[in-house]
Amino acid sequence: MVKQVPDSQEVVIDPVTMNLNRSLTRNVTNRADENALEAALQIKDRTDAHVTVVSMGPPQAETTMIECLARGADRAILASDRFFGGADTYPTGLTLAATIKAIGKFDIIFAGEETSDSSTGHVGPGVAEFLGIDQITYASKVEYKDGFVTAERELEDGTEVVKVPTPVLVTVLLNSNVPRRQTLRRKIDAIRQGFESWDHDKVGLQPEWVGVRGSPTIVRKMRPIKEKERAAKKVDIAGIPDLVKELYQKGVIKVESD
Amino acid sequence: MSEFDVIVVGAGPAGSSAAIKMASQGLKVLLVERGDPVGSKNVSGGILWGNDLAAIIPDWEKSAPLERYVERKVTSFLTGDSEIAIDFKTKKFQEKKTGYSVLRTRLDSFLARKAAQAGAMVVTGVTVDSLAMKDGRVIGVVNEGETITADCVILAEGPNPRVAMAAGLVGKPNDRTVGIGVKHVYKLGENVINERFNLRGNAGFAGEYVLSFLEGDVYAGGFLYTNKDTVSMGVVINMATLRKNGNTHSFDIMEKFAQHPFISSLVEGGQLQEYSAHFVYEGGYEDMPRAYGNGYMLVGDTAGFSFSNGMILQGMNYAISSGILAGEAAIEARKDNDFSAESLSRYQKKLDNSPAVLDKKNFQGISNVVWSPMVHRAIPALLESSLYSMLYESGKPKKHLSQIMMKSLKSSGMNSKDLMVQGYRLMRRM
Repeated sequence: MVKQVPDSQEVVIDPVTMNLNRSLTRNVTNRADENALEAALQIKDRTDAHVTVVSMGPPQAETTMIECLARGADRAILASDRFFGGADTYPTGLTLAATIKAIGKFDIIFAGEETSDSSTGHVGPGVAEFLGIDQITYASKVEYKDGFVTAERELEDGTEVVKVPTPVLVTVLLNSNVPRRQTLRRKIDAIRQGFESWDHDKVGLQPEWVGVRGSPTIVRKMRPIKEKERAAKKVDIAGIPDLVKELYQKGVIKVESD
Repeated sequence: MSEFDVIVVGAGPAGSSAAIKMASQGLKVLLVERGDPVGSKNVSGGILWGNDLAAIIPDWEKSAPLERYVERKVTSFLTGDSEIAIDFKTKKFQEKKTGYSVLRTRLDSFLARKAAQAGAMVVTGVTVDSLAMKDGRVIGVVNEGETITADCVILAEGPNPRVAMAAGLVGKPNDRTVGIGVKHVYKLGENVINERFNLRGNAGFAGEYVLSFLEGDVYAGGFLYTNKDTVSMGVVINMATLRKNGNTHSFDIMEKFAQHPFISSLVEGGQLQEYSAHFVYEGGYEDMPRAYGNGYMLVGDTAGFSFSNGMILQGMNYAISSGILAGEAAIEARKDNDFSAESLSRYQKKLDNSPAVLDKKNFQGISNVVWSPMVHRAIPALLESSLYSMLYESGKPKKHLSQIMMKSLKSSGMNSKDLMVQGYRLMRRM
């Protein structure tokens, strides 16, 4: 499972409207999802696995689908329908789970730990719940052998190694591997092969279950964070007492007595 | 049997124009660009002169992402305290447009989209490593050890053509053939731009400056162009003089230009949106490589097509016209089923009769004059001190212009014979 997101290194916020200026921002594949795809491709390298990439998004996510094929995926399906628009993490998980179900048999579902544009980390685990399968989250290393997935999970106080029978969903840590490059040969083949675009009918969901109508989250209010005023000042040693006084008066520093 | 008729390396104006031309005539074209999105690696000052796009996109003036048309053209000398300028404004440019300011990320993306619409396969984010050769002819391109075959490869790599250089098709850039360009884009807002540059509607300002106030003998030119709500400003630095002054950095020169009293007032309060640097092709007619060979053609900056005569800096228009001509040559070669050097020499013949080559030929040696001490030091100093002497009311009896100029000439450190000779050369070369 992958998602196309605005390039976080290039996010430009319009200081007047406070909106994310998407005309200047380019769209890229969520970086943790690239690690998820790489983890899947490494298993494909060692077995005869078939890798299908699934995403939900607008038609412009085409570039991400082609990119995943160019890195080595066998098939790419984009769930794309105007009814899917405005979804929070609940119908997003539902839509992806339904898409995967419609594809048929699977052994392992890989997802990035979270996306860089909303950072919830909900969607992977949500899909596992909708499909009623086990899940391994925050995996840094994933191996497959004889119907079992062995994964290392990075925890705060150490590394946990778990072994789970398939089918299983694994969310993969950002930077846990080095995604392979797209080559010109693969990219040409990917463009020729093309990806599939599935609407709500093909996915098998009613319009009222998905998108903004299927989303339980209601955003009541959003406000921009007011930036604190900052200033730089150059003083010589003699000026320090005055500076301390000024900072004290402005409440920037305070004196604590014991 | 090759996989493609033609592979084009580089989706700048030259490469995309060639791809549009060929794909619209049914050729199987692959356009490869390392930047993603298209245009993100490309830099130019930003004025597209002329009407060359009309041949492949008839409605380009309506459909292309153009910023403003040039109505006001300034050619200026900047000294430490002064600006002496020719400020040419004409409503004639409103009826007959001569040039438009453009932002390359938008323009180049637009042209690549047009190529895809015409039927070319456009691949971005992938770098071609080298040319695939067999029996002394180009048979395709190589990426990550894999060969993609084509009957012909068009190299549109810009002024630092790695693939063409590695194959020995062009020489390495040297101090004479390239300069350094540094560019910033500042957001000012439409109204502020219109007020500061005395413009209305989508009329635009294009200024080119001789930066005569730089320390040492570093020669550099500045440019300032208005876009819809941003300005593009930058410098082009002569490589040879920069190298001689090891302590000078390109970004310092950019900073000094931006801080000049009569420039800073124009861009004050602007919000920096983009910064970039790039080689600028400066080679003359004598530096131009042969633009074709067995199974390949060179277009745009890679073939040496950019031009400056001191008044005007052009590149994109030649890039487009050379791309179209290479496209035409490929279409004819496809009909004959012959992509040998002999067959592709028709491209050179087309070029030889086009402004792209004729301008370079007719203005041979111009760069020696443009990058001369006369233009960069003596003339600005002479003009400044003469004008200052004439205009400052000292309360003393006035002197004749000739007397003032002779005195200024003496203080400029240039002898009158040199000035006469070089001035004559300048007039002839321009």
